[in-house]
Amino acid sequence: MLRDDSNKYLPLTESTCYIMLTLVEPLHGYAVMRKVEEISKGTVKVGPGTLYGAFTALEKEGLIVKVKEENRRKSYVLTPKGKNVLMTQIKRLEIMTQNGLSVIDML
Amino acid sequence: MAENMMRKIKWFWPWQDEQEEAWLRSMSQKGWHLSSVGLPCIYRFRAGEPRDYVYRLDYQTFPKKDKQEYQQLFRDAGWEYIGEMSAWQYFRKEVKEEEPLEIFTDVESKIAKYKRILPFLWLFWIILIVIFPVRGISIDNPYPWWGAIQAIQVFALLIWLFFTYVIIRLWLRIRQLRRL
Repeated sequence: MLRDDSNKYLPLTESTCYIMLTLVEPLHGYAVMRKVEEISKGTVKVGPGTLYGAFTALEKEGLIVKVKEENRRKSYVLTPKGKNVLMTQIKRLEIMTQNGLSVIDML
Repeated sequence: MAENMMRKIKWFWPWQDEQEEAWLRSMSQKGWHLSSVGLPCIYRFRAGEPRDYVYRLDYQTFPKKDKQEYQQLFRDAGWEYIGEMSAWQYFRKEVKEEEPLEIFTDVESKIAKYKRILPFLWLFWIILIVIFPVRGISIDNPYPWWGAIQAIQVFALLIWLFFTYVIIRLWLRIRQLRRL
């Protein structure tokens, strides 16, 4: 079994987390931007500068990989390592959400 | 130079990119639209109808192939690419309702932009120390060219101080953003 070093990338920023969530299927940059806005119900918008920076960093760390290139648009998808990191992040967020829900009546 | 063109030379420190963006926007509001940039600190403007363009700067170095992908991404998001000045990438977009006007949408990616400038500055800072180590200043004149060597030393020291200043100010800018 692989040693799990997912925690060294955590916590992901909200933008990075959403970008990775969209990359369960291959998508190019602009499609990622639109999908993040859609699935976050407009709470998170990712600008092209932020997105390009995230793509570069995630690719360098081997969390995403380039799968296709057409008309100067490159598509990326999560690697197994990237899926692992995202899974660990989701579990941590789930714990946090449960904690939040348990006290929500007291707020 | 044609009548409808204007060239300006203006210095901005690397931590003043937001001031630079604001200046370019005010030029467009007066009807002078940035048409290209170049070294050293040259801005070329073309006259036209006053328009409300916002300008945004990124700092990126990359091979040509990646640059096309990069520019395409910004184009898809509605940004017009204007040019590059020592790795600073210039974009603009006309202000309209419902249009996002930022290329960086979180603090972390703004900090990452400033951090991309630092390795280049550190490199020069270290090279200057290695090439021109600070030697004791002697009043003896052991060689005829000693004066010239000392003049170069002083010049190198000034450049080194310049780099030190830029590194400190960028670091302060990053710290200021982190506190937000």
